[in-house]
Amino acid sequence: MIKYIIRRALQAIPVLLGISLVTYFILLIAPGGPTGRFAQNPNITAAQIEAFKRRWGLDQPIPIQYCRWLGVCGDKPFLINALPGGTFELAGLKIDLPGGDNGILHGDFGYSITDGRPVVDVIAERLPPTLILSGTAWVIWIIIAFLAGMYAAVRCYSLFDSALTIFNYVGFSLPTFWLGIVLIQLFSAPPLKWFPVGGMWTTRTVPPFGTERYWDFFWAQPFTALYDLGTHLVLPVVTLVVVNIAFDSRFVRASMLDALGQDFVKTARAKGVPERRVVFKHALRNAMLPVVTNIGLEIPFLFTGAVVTETIFSWPGMGREFINAVGHFDYPVLMGILLITSVFVVFANLLADVVYVIVDPRVKFD
Amino acid sequence: MDTTRATDLAGPESAGPAPDYEVGLVSLNQWQIAWRRFRRHKLAMFGAFLFLGIVAAAIALPFIWPFDFYTIPTPKPNCRIGCPPNPDNIFGTTGGLQRDVFTLVVNGARVSLAIGLGAALFGAIIGSIVGGVAGYFGGWVDNLLMRIVDALLSLPLLFVILVIARFLGSGNWLLIMVVFAAFGWPGVARLVRSLFLTLRNEVFVEAARAVGVSSTRIIFRHILPNAVSPIIVASTLAVAGVIVGEAFVSFLGFGVDVTTPTWATPSRTR
Repeated sequence: MIKYIIRRALQAIPVLLGISLVTYFILLIAPGGPTGRFAQNPNITAAQIEAFKRRWGLDQPIPIQYCRWLGVCGDKPFLINALPGGTFELAGLKIDLPGGDNGILHGDFGYSITDGRPVVDVIAERLPPTLILSGTAWVIWIIIAFLAGMYAAVRCYSLFDSALTIFNYVGFSLPTFWLGIVLIQLFSAPPLKWFPVGGMWTTRTVPPFGTERYWDFFWAQPFTALYDLGTHLVLPVVTLVVVNIAFDSRFVRASMLDALGQDFVKTARAKGVPERRVVFKHALRNAMLPVVTNIGLEIPFLFTGAVVTETIFSWPGMGREFINAVGHFDYPVLMGILLITSVFVVFANLLADVVYVIVDPRVKFD
Repeated sequence: MDTTRATDLAGPESAGPAPDYEVGLVSLNQWQIAWRRFRRHKLAMFGAFLFLGIVAAAIALPFIWPFDFYTIPTPKPNCRIGCPPNPDNIFGTTGGLQRDVFTLVVNGARVSLAIGLGAALFGAIIGSIVGGVAGYFGGWVDNLLMRIVDALLSLPLLFVILVIARFLGSGNWLLIMVVFAAFGWPGVARLVRSLFLTLRNEVFVEAARAVGVSSTRIIFRHILPNAVSPIIVASTLAVAGVIVGEAFVSFLGFGVDVTTPTWATPSRTR
């Protein structure tokens, strides 16, 4: 198994290179581009646009740009750039390495075209809010989906089952952008005003999230800070849960139904195993595979964020940053976010494959 | 075919998770058994009729309430932000140009349903084939196919649609359907593969292999029917998902041409 994991991790390198190559080309081929927004502006001359392009290296052919983004091409002769460069200290010795120091190969994601900040800073700022929102929603919907799906399968075709089915299909058919706005209308608009309209903190009462001042405030008044965060979380989390619960609970229900109809469940019941044990031990483990697959496909979303929900509730997360970057054709930020997405896709699927073997010993990888 | 069968005598209790056992003289294949159980299931039949009704309405009703993008209805004075439902417009009207929402819904059904059903169907077919082959053979085949799946899962859908719109022309609904199918099958493939990984070690597969059944037949006739329930769940949900996805993409302006009515139209015409 360890061998299999190591092999898969090594395979991830060419896969990620391939993904980044395709993504880079798709992004740069797409019509518009970072200078697209200047086209209608009479105050910007063609020379200025040229200067902008030269400043960001956009005047180079796409393969060269990709090569630079990778860190293989640069001011030093080809391939030397790919080696590690800069001065390192090792046991008191100063070692000067000849290689390059920019590009993904050296852990440098580049700078945002929109505001010039390092992409790493942008992502580091946006990741915690996304993890808080998507993580909370994910935990809630997984728990509800498991309990509801299993109960519906055990009490198959009962009133609860039908109610869950209806709720699932209604919830799943609601577009996020519509549900979010309706929730804001109902619970944030004047008659009720229970929850804030959007954002992550109450301006002027709580300092901006992630800053040093925020953490000072947090440790000084933890309950106020948590309460404030909680009220901001409710509506986006409800939106995500209602829309996403359908997928997992349908899977849990369908695979549980399959498993409960199998002969080994009948055998277990016949030999007098308590029903609780039959459901949780015998049936559930056999019903896990599709559910684990699905959870594996959902994990990347925790890190890249719910684009639509974050936009509607102006949540300062990765999803909203992605939409902003799309609007500005901010290639370095887009590539940074997409690279992180693909890393999580690749490793979440590897994780799912490992979990298969744990939940179902019949699965074997050679 | 009028032999009395055990299932006929078993009555409605046989519906449910327990499989029907054939004791009769004529044996039915699994699709016939599935069809019987489906017919007995009231909720399923209700769903089927509802669905066929919607499809029939999508085909027939546009002849009665046609939609022309360039015809603008006569505005009513108090409806600038859209009318609530009233006798003239039973679903109300949109804001701005005050188009009848019912007409838009009726006319949009064709393209939206076609995109949703088509993408889900193609996604399920491609996903089942790829997932089945990968899960059954394992080894390098599995590795190669699943790495392609990983790659597809990480591509940005919005940009792919943008690029396609640039090179193949925008607004064609068939193209949007193909894109959604291309982005839908990787999920199905992983699902099918996960089930094949366990099922390929089952005794009935071993038996089939021992008798000399071809791999293709084992994959599609012996194992796939056992993996069908998650595929059905995934594809039925995918229909709704794709319809909403198309609405979202069209809402942003990258999807189907504005003059073609879809269920995105009420959100994007003034």
